[in-house]
Amino acid sequence: MSKLACKKCVLNSDIPGIEINEESGLCHFCETYVPLSSKEREQYLNRIEELFKEYSGRGNYDVIFALSGGKDSSYTLYKLKKDYPFLKVLAVQFDNGFTSDYAVVNAKKMCEITGCDYFKLTMETEVLYELFRKAAESYDAFPKFAKYRASDICNICISVIKQKLLEQAIVQNAPFVVFAFTAGQSPNPIINLSANFIQWSRNLFEKQLQKIGVDDRDEQFLIKNEVIKNIGEVAPSILHPLCLWEYSEDKVIETVMELGWKAPDLNDSNSTNCTLNSFACHNHLEKYGFHPYAFDIAGLVRSGEMSREEGLEKLHQELSQPLIEEAAEKLEIKINHS
Amino acid sequence: MEQIKNGILDYLKDNSFMERGTVLRDSDSLTQNGIIDSIGLLELIDYICETYSIEIPEDMLTPENFDSLQGITDLITRLAK
Repeated sequence: MSKLACKKCVLNSDIPGIEINEESGLCHFCETYVPLSSKEREQYLNRIEELFKEYSGRGNYDVIFALSGGKDSSYTLYKLKKDYPFLKVLAVQFDNGFTSDYAVVNAKKMCEITGCDYFKLTMETEVLYELFRKAAESYDAFPKFAKYRASDICNICISVIKQKLLEQAIVQNAPFVVFAFTAGQSPNPIINLSANFIQWSRNLFEKQLQKIGVDDRDEQFLIKNEVIKNIGEVAPSILHPLCLWEYSEDKVIETVMELGWKAPDLNDSNSTNCTLNSFACHNHLEKYGFHPYAFDIAGLVRSGEMSREEGLEKLHQELSQPLIEEAAEKLEIKINHS
Repeated sequence: MEQIKNGILDYLKDNSFMERGTVLRDSDSLTQNGIIDSIGLLELIDYICETYSIEIPEDMLTPENFDSLQGITDLITRLAK
């Protein structure tokens, strides 16, 4: 059957599992898509404000913030502190061994501007390279839908970040962990956790690591079991405020650049902070035959936050060969030159 | 009960957690069968709360209640009463 493309977003029938309804011309995601109404967005934002007011001031920090130094997290940190200036925020930047110099400068700059504390979380480079090498060499280690969410490398990296930020939240007695996910990346604005669930999700990630051949006995990537035991009465909640705010990539970049954020010299249309991203996309395309950002971009297009043309352009932009080669060399992985 | 089970199954298929043709028994583990991971679980829990207008008490967020179609169906049936 010839390739059918969804007329609303950027998905097509060549992507495994994607069905396009010939009559409507829509993929099954667009057919069932129900956007948050402006009233619902407002309700969620009111709820977040109530939560901040109710739970802030109890621990060392109110918010543990995932700051990559890229445009979205820099913007989210700025807007979060602008809208809720009373919050005491610890911004954590995970240096995965591939964080660009620009990203570190930008992250520190954003913390200075917003008056937040900065903490760089890192590990031995070789340990990180080994982790990403195993993720790159794995096949089908993640569930089907996780492959749509991101590449295997990014899935591993974001899972480590989630584990370690939750750990930090428990240690600092902070009630909230905030991520700068767009509506395309995460549609759920408020996620309430419990000690049970945190333990369960830790154990699931442990099994995921074992599946790719990583035995994390020292709990470098996992939340330490000892820390989970110390969760207080209220477990931290995860918040995604960016998915509730109006999003336009141009507006986000314009806002942060006015603040002094510097655009990186990375030739990667999907990352402004990570030099591993191009390799991760290349690896995913080689293994599974579709772009790991397809669903993220489709989500943005579906919700009207990006035009279809812009989305298609991003997906078809050639990946940076120098970045791919640089990362492959560090990970000691041979790449196919096609 | 069957209606709830089919609703969950449709959700998993519609949202590409699993292939349409996959056969899943009521007691099969969603995590061990590679259908869902911890991030997917959060989305599933959110869907269940919204769709069935229920609040799930923290102590019920356990593998016994969420790792199989049967567990999820039983949980919703109990909480939706």
